[in-house]
Amino acid sequence: MSRRARGILAAIAALALAPGALAVVRAMPPLGDHPLPYGDAVNRVAPAERAVSNMVTAVNFDLRGFDTLGEEVMLLAAVVGAVVVLRGARGEGVGDRPARCGSRPIPPRSDAVVLLCRMTAPLTLIYGLYVVLHAALTPGGGFQGGAIIGSGLVLVWLGEGYNAWRRMVPGVVLHALEGGGAGLYALAGFGAMLTGAAYLANMLPLGDWGSILSGGMIPVVNFGVGLAVSGAFGMLFLEFLEETREPEKGEEQ
Amino acid sequence: MTALLAGLLLLVAATGTGVVLSRRPERQVMAMAANGLALALLFAALQAPDVAFSQLVVGTAAVPLLFLAVLASIRLHRPEERPGDRPEKGA
Repeated sequence: MSRRARGILAAIAALALAPGALAVVRAMPPLGDHPLPYGDAVNRVAPAERAVSNMVTAVNFDLRGFDTLGEEVMLLAAVVGAVVVLRGARGEGVGDRPARCGSRPIPPRSDAVVLLCRMTAPLTLIYGLYVVLHAALTPGGGFQGGAIIGSGLVLVWLGEGYNAWRRMVPGVVLHALEGGGAGLYALAGFGAMLTGAAYLANMLPLGDWGSILSGGMIPVVNFGVGLAVSGAFGMLFLEFLEETREPEKGEEQ
Repeated sequence: MTALLAGLLLLVAATGTGVVLSRRPERQVMAMAANGLALALLFAALQAPDVAFSQLVVGTAAVPLLFLAVLASIRLHRPEERPGDRPEKGA
């Protein structure tokens, strides 16, 4: 299709959709308006009944904790699927040499990159842990903190190179984090059932409002999510970066 | 609507246009990361810090990195294509 014909088609489509879009824009509530009652209800219930100050965490890990378990299993399935597809094409063997594109030499990392990564990687990892542990108090939580930890692992790769990265971040540890975290979440639900309550019911003492351990079950399942997400992001990065590695002759491909 | 929100909305629109207009994949990845960063700032300004966090780590760090790894892998396994090649017009 020529450029001109595509332009005409796009203009016709835009004209046809314009009345509908205009109607939707006119019917939208004004900015900042929240006509539904749920936000106010959560703000009322969560500090009083769960002793947490981050309402998003209260919703994710308690009020709809079972849905979050589903999301957790979904992430586990997605990452395992990606790993199976990539390893199916590549084989399970892993090596510690970086990729080469043809006969082009690998440029050495500049000192500035190494210095910057050595300064920021530990800080990023610790900040990720902080975000995981303070889920009940401040914005963030297991997912966000776990993803920050995953980014920190990539900074290690960027600063130290492929070989050192593979030695410092063993795949087995990432697998254990991913599976163990998801398992912790699921088993925490069964733990509540031992006392005769419903699955994932909040049976632990709630603690004081503003304390890092407030929220009863919330810190436990949140920590499980944090472990699982850091493992999941680490596994994804590891498998994708392994794809950019060129195998030696005779090595499993 | 405050000037901050208006400015951030314009920034999101500008960076989004940048994603559409960049033709080379590696530049497009960076444009997408910039768009993700603008969205994260907008979410933070709209008082949704948890969403801003997720947007920042997923949209600005994780997804662009995975795209770059895929691009590197494609280059690696098809070395006859030179990195500077532009995509075909009208493809």
